[in-house]
Order: sequence, then C-alpha cells, then structure tokens
Amino acid sequence: MSEESKERQTGFRRHGDDAFVAEFSVSESEVLVNLVEQIIELLGERKDSHSDDPLAAMVGITSHDSPPDDDVLLRLLPNAYADQVDASEFRRYTEATLRAKKTAHAMSMRIDLKSASDGCVEVDHEGANAWLGAMNDIRLALGVRLNVEEKSHEELEILAPDDPLRGVYAVYSWLGWLQESLIMALMDQAL
Amino acid sequence: MVRLDEKIDEDIQAIFTSDRPWTTIVWDDPVNLMSYVTYVLMELFGFTREKAHELMMKVHTEGKAVVSSGSREEMEHDVARLHEYGLWATLQREDQSL
Repeated sequence: MSEESKERQTGFRRHGDDAFVAEFSVSESEVLVNLVEQIIELLGERKDSHSDDPLAAMVGITSHDSPPDDDVLLRLLPNAYADQVDASEFRRYTEATLRAKKTAHAMSMRIDLKSASDGCVEVDHEGANAWLGAMNDIRLALGVRLNVEEKSHEELEILAPDDPLRGVYAVYSWLGWLQESLIMALMDQAL
Repeated sequence: MVRLDEKIDEDIQAIFTSDRPWTTIVWDDPVNLMSYVTYVLMELFGFTREKAHELMMKVHTEGKAVVSSGSREEMEHDVARLHEYGLWATLQREDQSL
C-alpha cells in the first residue's frame, strides 16, 4: 500500500449530505476518459467464448476457468483461491459477473465525465463508490505497467525526463491523489 | 453394500457440517491506498473506522489479515465483493497454513 499527499488543486469535496464534487480541466477530463475507456476495452477483450450456450451466458457461467495471460487483466481479475482447481472452478462461475461490475464502475465514471458541464462532476455516494472502484482499477493497471511491485516509490520519483514511464507515473500519482480526496470527502460523513 | 453407503453418507455429512470455518484474507498490495483499503472494509463489512483501520494496518505491516470468517459460500461472496473493488483477497479453511 502507499500513501498519497499531494498538495494540488482541491480534488473532490463534499457538497451537503450526499454529493461529492470535483472540477476538471479539459485536458484532465480527457486523460481520465481515455484511461477509463482503456479499462472498458481491456475488460471487453476477455469475452466469453461461450456464445454457443446462451443459457450459460445468462447465468454468468463463462468458459474461462484459467487465469488471464495478461498481467493487467490478472490483477483486475485475480484468483480467489491459492489452489488452482478451486480457483478455476470459482472463476468459471464468477468471472463474468466481476467483469460486468468493473465495467459498470468504469462506464459510470465515463458517463459522469462526458456529461459534466464545464468539467464539474457531481456524484452521490453510490456514484462515488463507482468512481473509487474505477480509479482503483486504472491505478492497478498502471501499477502493473510501472512495475510497482519491484520498484520503490523513490525509484519512480527520479525517472529520467525522457523515460516514457515518467508520464505514466505522473498520472498514477495524480489518480492516487484524486482517489484520496474522494475517500476523505466520503469519510467526513462516517465520522 | 448398505454399510458402505452409510459410510459415504457419514463422510458427506462430515463435509457439510464441518465446524472448521472458512476465512477471507486480504493481502498487501503496493498500489492500493491505505485510506482506500480502510474505506472499502468499512463499506463492505460495516466495520467502524477504528476496526477497519486496525485491519488495514495488519495487512500493511504483516502482509495479510483475516477480514471475515464463516461458511464457504459466505466467504466466496466476500472475496467477490473485495475483488470488485480491487482488493487482493483469497479464501481458505481457517486452519490452513498461509
């Protein structure tokens, strides 16, 4: 886990009992839409190859019982058991539902951004949770690309200006800060 | 044959009535924010902020923490909800070595 404490802008703020508001510049909004669309696309790539069995598809059974090859997808759709047989069985019955829920979070965030007037996004508690889930999925995906498992926070902070990962890390950090601002706004209520 | 059937019945019964509960474990992850893990535990399990913070710190310092225990079905439900929010969770028998 990591801590984020960037002093920049305001991020999300609480407005009344059940509204959380943030303002984004055009470029910030574009970055967020682009990232969330990549998550939707990535989750969609792992389609069920069970199209010949509509009943199985209807009840959420997929033909996927092995974990995804792609490291990012594997982090988004992890194994539920250490035991491979149990993990496969669980995945077969639940992965489609998990993908649908993650896609719904991402779609919710995308629609909020697309329909925001003057970059002002307002969400309720449920919408906020969708944003948190979607932002976290983006950060998990970027984290895999940045290899945060191996690299320390300090190593990533001093990436060379021409390192293509420098920009990725900047976005990753900014998302962490944005996520933190929404959590703090939500937690106000819980106190 | 009857005896054998009875034996199988007993074995099956033992499986279903096993008093060894299952547990849901959350594992440490370098991406998930400490505040986020705390918030998700509060939202999904209804923990107080103090309890959720305590469990998050256990995950952070010890690498893992048991966040719930009960039947296998209940734990599968908990793991699925944790996965929905991107926490790294697995389930296993309570006495299974980690």
